[in-house]
Amino acid sequence: MNSAVKQRQHSGPFLPEIPSKNNNKGRKSTQHSRRKQQKEFLPPGSDKSAEVLSKAEISLFRNSLKQNICVELLQEGFHRSFSELFLLLRSDQQRRAEEEFESDELPLEQQWDKLETLRRYLSRAEQAENTCSWTLVCDQRLFLAQFFSSPEDGWLCSYFYHSCADRERGGRSRPATEARACLAEVYLQLGDLQAARQQADQCLQQAGDEGWVDSSGRPLRLRALRALSSVYSRLADAPLEAEDHSEALRLLHRGHSIATESEDKKLEFDALLRLGLAYQSAGDHDTAKQLFNTCMQICGSLHDAEGLGKSYKAMSKSIESEGNTQKTLECLEKLVDICRDNGLKRNLADAFLCLGNTYFTMREYSRASEFFLQGYEVSCELGDVALLQKAQVLVGTSRARSLFGKFSADVESCSPAALKRLISWKETRGRQEVGSDSTGSDAASAWC
Amino acid sequence: MRRGDAEHQQADWVGIHERICQMLVTIRSPTLLSLQQAGCIQSQLVKAELIEMCRLVAQSKLSEGKHQEALPAAQFCLRCSKDVHGPRSVQMVPAYLLLAEANMGMGNLAWAAELLSQAEWAALKSSDHAVHQRLHRCLGRLHTATGNLEAALFNFANDIYFASEEYGLDSTVTRGGYFLMANVYAKLGGLPIVRSLYSEVAQTWHCHLTKLLDTHVQNVQSPDTGLEPYDEAQRVELDKMLRTMLEFEQNDSRKDSAQIALVAHCLAMLWFLAGDSLKALGFGNTALQASQLIPNHDLTEPIQGLLQLLHTVC
Repeated sequence: MNSAVKQRQHSGPFLPEIPSKNNNKGRKSTQHSRRKQQKEFLPPGSDKSAEVLSKAEISLFRNSLKQNICVELLQEGFHRSFSELFLLLRSDQQRRAEEEFESDELPLEQQWDKLETLRRYLSRAEQAENTCSWTLVCDQRLFLAQFFSSPEDGWLCSYFYHSCADRERGGRSRPATEARACLAEVYLQLGDLQAARQQADQCLQQAGDEGWVDSSGRPLRLRALRALSSVYSRLADAPLEAEDHSEALRLLHRGHSIATESEDKKLEFDALLRLGLAYQSAGDHDTAKQLFNTCMQICGSLHDAEGLGKSYKAMSKSIESEGNTQKTLECLEKLVDICRDNGLKRNLADAFLCLGNTYFTMREYSRASEFFLQGYEVSCELGDVALLQKAQVLVGTSRARSLFGKFSADVESCSPAALKRLISWKETRGRQEVGSDSTGSDAASAWC
Repeated sequence: MRRGDAEHQQADWVGIHERICQMLVTIRSPTLLSLQQAGCIQSQLVKAELIEMCRLVAQSKLSEGKHQEALPAAQFCLRCSKDVHGPRSVQMVPAYLLLAEANMGMGNLAWAAELLSQAEWAALKSSDHAVHQRLHRCLGRLHTATGNLEAALFNFANDIYFASEEYGLDSTVTRGGYFLMANVYAKLGGLPIVRSLYSEVAQTWHCHLTKLLDTHVQNVQSPDTGLEPYDEAQRVELDKMLRTMLEFEQNDSRKDSAQIALVAHCLAMLWFLAGDSLKALGFGNTALQASQLIPNHDLTEPIQGLLQLLHTVC
């Protein structure tokens, strides 16, 4: 018999596990682990329970997970936690019933780890409430909100942030203020800018000069400022679209001054760039250029090549609008250098195309086609089909333009040499590959 | 012994027999008709009616605290249920519970425990929340009586869980479980929990009674639907519960005036609805005194309103 036991230990379970699609299995196994956990917590003297199961222990197996958790809370006297949990489970049911598509996710009431966490922290919060330790209450609720960080638990996350931030007692504590900062970010993500602004404003007000930091050590005041600055930047989108430049500039200036206050250089750069672009679209290129210059300085100190690239690109656009082609070209060449030195391939392709465009507008078609071609090559390396096709079209157009003048001159001149060139071109055309024209066709190279 | 017999007979008579005597005749005395199939169905119907009647009678006697008088009805209910549904069916559970409660009230705890384990067995396969709720409440009561307070807490916790599933979190049934649980905590010395449980109970009932009072006042103005919100038994039970809570608050070291005002206002409304102005006035005054201790208390106005109503009646 001993050997039989040993063998079983080695070969794992006696019967093979039957994979089942319904959730019963999951539920049972979680209950089993729950029971195991309970046993671990039992004091060493209570071996009696291992022999004879009590009614309460039997019910752990028989009853649903939801019932066990609820009963445990009630039995320990945490009736407010019970009510809260019960209502949350109800709204989970309703939420799922209203959903059009059936989700793969298990109902909340079948997820042991989530229910157990809820039970533990809700009861801690209630205990703290009973001893009037309001900050501690908020700490527990903040923890729960951060525990439910996955996207499918978003509703629980904002529920607990609110239940922490909106408390009558403890609502001005550090954790409640942190919850406000988080809520501002949540609303920002959801695109509810007014709500985000309200939360960020309130967070700023509460954080004041307390010097509070969040769980990861970042100052709360700065977090709120960051959120607020982003809110103002995004609020400017609508007036910009409607070409209401003065309103957009007002909002962006506000966003910029908050960003400066936030001591976050990257954020300050973003705000400045947006402000510059807004001035650009309003036609005030001098101010825009000044702002882009400041952007470049900030990027220099941050060693942010991508930001620098963005600044140069924006700058070149302003210079171009002023009609200063030479300076535009200088600016774009600088942009190409930056992108090449820092391995920013996408920006490099973009820069080549810009440069090509500028030559194109100057009617220097062969120069333009050279740059378009370089842009095409980089986009081939990137494997970006859309960009690649765009570059192909540009190369084609510019090359056609560059050939066109000489072609028509030859047609008009009627000299034998011209005729010969035309015939030779006609015979080789179509066999050329893009990019190999300098060696492929005598005629074309003669024209170029 | 003779006297005992007479008492027993008296209890039996007022308990149930005066109501069901006539019906018994139809099912007990075999006639030509009753032996045929149609007669069988009819006698089943009569039995079903009997079960329902006995259940109601036993329930109301229990609520009034007349356990001895509840016993015959409960016994008869059990016997009939057994005839109709078979001894192991879920439908036996209510009958077992009634009989167990009557026995508990009379101090026959061992017998009550026996009956309850029968009920548990019968309820095992049922997924009816209401059945499990009532079973757990009974078990909780039994464990409270035997002093097994941990088990009582476990049963009342289940009682509250099932009641919330069946009737909702804020229902008066669920709050009944809260009250019973609070009493166990009172014995265990957990005063903060008792306070907060009582406050939940009182708030729900206050809400409920305020609504009843409003409809009552409206009906007096247009007296078409004579509404009797509670029968005698329920009123007795509620009165007992509210008084227990009031006494607890008045003897509590904290003397929470808001809670005293709330509970006393409940009692005043209850007795006003029952038509006992004198009692209502007494509780109304207690409520007013307590609420006036708190500046700008929300309840002061409704309490004064009720007192005015009472003065016009008196």
